[in-house]
Amino acid sequence: MRFQIVHRTRYAYASPVRESFNEIRLKPVTNEHQTVESFLLKILPPSRLRHYEDFYKNVVHHFEIPEPHTSVLVEALTTVSTRSIALPLDATPAALSRLPECDRTERCFDYLLPSRYVEWDPEAWRLAVDSTQGTADIWQAAVAVMRFIHGSFRYTPLSTHVHTHMRQVIQQRQGVCQDFAHVMLGLCRSLKIPALYVSGYLATESASATHAWIEVFVPDVGWRGLDPTHNCAVDENYVKIAVGRDYADVTPVSGHYKGTLDRRMEVTVDIRRAE
Amino acid sequence: MTEATVKSSAAEQRRPLLQRYRTEPGSYDELLGADGRVRPNYETLIRGLEELGPDELKRRAETCRRLVHEQGITYNVYGDPLGMERPWQLDPVPFILGAEEWRKIEAGLIQRAQLLNRIMADCYGPQELIRSSWLPPALVFAQPDFLRPLHGSQPGETCFLHFYAADLARSPDGRWWVISDRTQIPTGTGYTLADRLVTSRILPEAFREGGVRRLAGFYRDAQAMLSELAPRRTDRPRVVLLTPGPFNETYFEQAYLARYLGYSLCEGQDLTVRDDRVFLKTLSGLEPVDVILRRVDDDFCDPLELRNESMLGVPGLVEAVRAGNVTVANALGGGLFQSPAFMAFLPGLCRHVLGEEMKLPSVATWWCGQKSAESYVAEHLDELFVKPAFRSRLRGVDPSAALTAAAREELLRQIRFQPHRWVAQEKVELSAAPSWSGEGLVSRPVALRVYLVATPDGYRVMPGGLARVAPDAGGRFISMQRGGAAKDTWILSDGPVEDVTLLSVAGQEVELRRVGNNLPSRLADNYFWLGRYAERTDATARLLRATLLRFSPESTGHAFPLLEPLLNTLVAQGQLPATEDQPELRTNAEALEAGLLAAIFDPSRAGSLRSLAGQLQRLGMLVRDRSSNDLWRVLRQLDDRLATPTSSLVMLAGDAIGVLNQSLLQLASFHGLARENMTRAQGWRFLDMGGRLERAIYLCSLLNAALHSPEADNPSVLEAVLDVADSSITYRTRYNLMPNMAAVYDLVLLDDTNPRSLLFQFNQLVKHFEKLPRERENALPSAGQRVLIECVTRLRLLDPRPINRLRSRWHESDVGRVLAETLRDLPRLSDAIAVNYFAHSTISRSR
Repeated sequence: MRFQIVHRTRYAYASPVRESFNEIRLKPVTNEHQTVESFLLKILPPSRLRHYEDFYKNVVHHFEIPEPHTSVLVEALTTVSTRSIALPLDATPAALSRLPECDRTERCFDYLLPSRYVEWDPEAWRLAVDSTQGTADIWQAAVAVMRFIHGSFRYTPLSTHVHTHMRQVIQQRQGVCQDFAHVMLGLCRSLKIPALYVSGYLATESASATHAWIEVFVPDVGWRGLDPTHNCAVDENYVKIAVGRDYADVTPVSGHYKGTLDRRMEVTVDIRRAE
Repeated sequence: MTEATVKSSAAEQRRPLLQRYRTEPGSYDELLGADGRVRPNYETLIRGLEELGPDELKRRAETCRRLVHEQGITYNVYGDPLGMERPWQLDPVPFILGAEEWRKIEAGLIQRAQLLNRIMADCYGPQELIRSSWLPPALVFAQPDFLRPLHGSQPGETCFLHFYAADLARSPDGRWWVISDRTQIPTGTGYTLADRLVTSRILPEAFREGGVRRLAGFYRDAQAMLSELAPRRTDRPRVVLLTPGPFNETYFEQAYLARYLGYSLCEGQDLTVRDDRVFLKTLSGLEPVDVILRRVDDDFCDPLELRNESMLGVPGLVEAVRAGNVTVANALGGGLFQSPAFMAFLPGLCRHVLGEEMKLPSVATWWCGQKSAESYVAEHLDELFVKPAFRSRLRGVDPSAALTAAAREELLRQIRFQPHRWVAQEKVELSAAPSWSGEGLVSRPVALRVYLVATPDGYRVMPGGLARVAPDAGGRFISMQRGGAAKDTWILSDGPVEDVTLLSVAGQEVELRRVGNNLPSRLADNYFWLGRYAERTDATARLLRATLLRFSPESTGHAFPLLEPLLNTLVAQGQLPATEDQPELRTNAEALEAGLLAAIFDPSRAGSLRSLAGQLQRLGMLVRDRSSNDLWRVLRQLDDRLATPTSSLVMLAGDAIGVLNQSLLQLASFHGLARENMTRAQGWRFLDMGGRLERAIYLCSLLNAALHSPEADNPSVLEAVLDVADSSITYRTRYNLMPNMAAVYDLVLLDDTNPRSLLFQFNQLVKHFEKLPRERENALPSAGQRVLIECVTRLRLLDPRPINRLRSRWHESDVGRVLAETLRDLPRLSDAIAVNYFAHSTISRSR
């Protein structure tokens, strides 16, 4: 499927700010799941953009605005085509006994450790073990964890914020897609299943914002996506922007400036099917 | 021990210097060999010390203490507000190693530095060592010090480890072991140099005769290496030393090194990034920076990409590094290799990477991330020193105390839960070295930190180092934070001693300059406030002296009205509490006397002379890398002078006047040094502007208080005014009559030949303003110039004579009006200067 996506982020400051330095992770990756056909990034006030590939192979753009300004607009225009590489939910590609192999794969190691918003904790481990009883397959265990989260956690907008830790989400049993993903990472990692965080877009979603889900590593197959918010495997309706250990690694726009704390942020995402 | 060794040992102990010297059984003694005789490397020193005799030795030890104090060699203790700036403890007896032994240490450390540099380049590059299982992934990825944004940021052949230090200890069998690696910010090179300067001065005979190798070559290599690192091809690369600021533990040595090496000492806020290049903010604009010698921790260096709450870093720095436009030494990310867990892998890596055996062993280390090591540690918990493998909130075990059963269980549980986060090391038995006890030599446990620098021809080792001794015998851990002392380290040469100095090579063409490197804005700010505080201290001392001279404890109530203007000025400037708060100050002579003494000596009162002197010393510290040592010494002595009567304020007013007189002399030498020794560059300009502004404020404040007094025309009030304004003599030579109001006010306000008059201050400020950068760019006067023009014009148009016709309400006269307006305008002037020149120091915020 082909999509055209317009992702706008606007900051407005109550009084002029200056020396603003920013990092942007908005360019979707090209891989076996998707191909980026065009990508255009617009910054206002106009600034020079540089980019590099980060540790997780995401494209990161940098820009700076030294002069005083009262607003910043970041607009990303993407055309991307996707194809589904989803595993069927009932597939049994690799036995749980193969997990120790992952430990030695250097690209997996990071996704087995605690990170900023995800930790190994006894509570998460207990939930993970309970929800995966009777499974003998890595993918099946991950699917069971996803079903458990979808069934026991309530999707409640505004019940959390971007810096909410997995621990608190488990306690309050509600959150948004970011929190569902963090909890799922915590449960998978405590079972020693490598799991990473994905930020991206979901074309079928009416809400005009970014989405988050996770991928688990399946030996011989690779990284495959599961969406605990919607209880499904990731298919061609999903567009992947960036991956990391958790939200902290993929923040779409982050920056540092001098000036007032009084500011407003507005994000709009518009996704259209393209022929 | 055989019969013979006991005898000779006894023989050595009959030497008076060694009477108290006891060797520690079971540890290596650096001074006495197994035969009980003084080892050859110490022979010259011991003979030298004996020749000096006990009294002279005591005197030299005292000189040592005094030199440390006078040069302000200090270190800061975190979390202890009173502990700021502890004097550095320097043991006058050097630690001495022979040439042969040193060559082995050198070879071992060079190899180790090469190895660590290669590992560093691999971990932040291809990660071959991890892929090929020479390094377990957890050792790198699980560490908070592995900075992912730096991965792949620099080409593989780059040097990552520009400076390296190793902490060494000698085991009972006489072998040296590395007990820790400092790969991020090897601190102590500044202290080492300071220690050397003091020790070589107090023991010049032994230093000369012993053939001690010089340290300067190391610093010269460091300078050459840092210039070499500039990515931009330029004949004069700009190197800056990035400091976390004056509250950092080792701020002293940062300022000291910056001065010695000739680099600007910068805080993060002095630097900024534009288009991936780093610039220094100076008074005349942005100047490119090529190399950053950093003392800020890895993750604090860039709030954008590393730790976003950091206030010490430079946003965008990592991107500038990635773009190859600036070199940071040591390379960011080096903290990773300080983990003791690496030591367990070094022998294998050394064979694999360098194809050699390790020449200098590390202390035995077990990293629990390996199954076999984990079980070994669990079985030998009591014999080992167990600690967190990585920087974390986990607490290690106090190695000096035995483990309780409960603590043991808890530790084992934690190790089982996350084995890779724990490491265990053998408990180290330190060797013992001779140390000065106040009476003679005693033996104290010693550890040695040795420094290396990466030159284009490979690593070079500083022939010396920072030796540290424990405060008591038999200790295993030495920390300057916990009462240890430093020692100079003498490496003996078996050839002639090379003579090196940091000054440029003779015969080289030099481009003549009349201006130094441009002044960073923050330093200009500090100079400005140094000037203000110096003048504030001076004016306060004068005011207090004038008050005390006019006050006697027998004074009855009627003397108070004459003191009123002085007391009101002291209230206005914060030396005395407001009358409403303490009305007895105006009625009771004893209360007033106590109040005045507190205004001089009480450190808890913000405006007291003592507090002002403290502030002055603090500001002096901030510009230390840019000003002469004498300037600093004078400020230090002033602070000491006022700190003397600590416990009680039981002091006579007469004694206090003596202290005030001495303080004024100290301040006069400060001003004299500033005037005679500072080049007329921007630093001096801001210092003088601060002083002028403050003098104007005090003068206006005093005259304003005098005009509000009902006794304003009383000759003794006028005399007090002349006295505080230091203009009595001039007045007497000019008028030869009782003080007359109009004449007095003319002299202290309008006489532009009187360096103490108000107009004189403004005229000087106008001159300074004309020379400031960026003041002439606009057609219209700047905000600061506008205020100055108003003030000067008002004064020039003022006729003081009508005031003589008034009998009361003098403050409503023209003179009174001008004073009130000037008093209102002065803060505006100060703000205008701050906005124009120091404004960038606003607070950073993260989003």
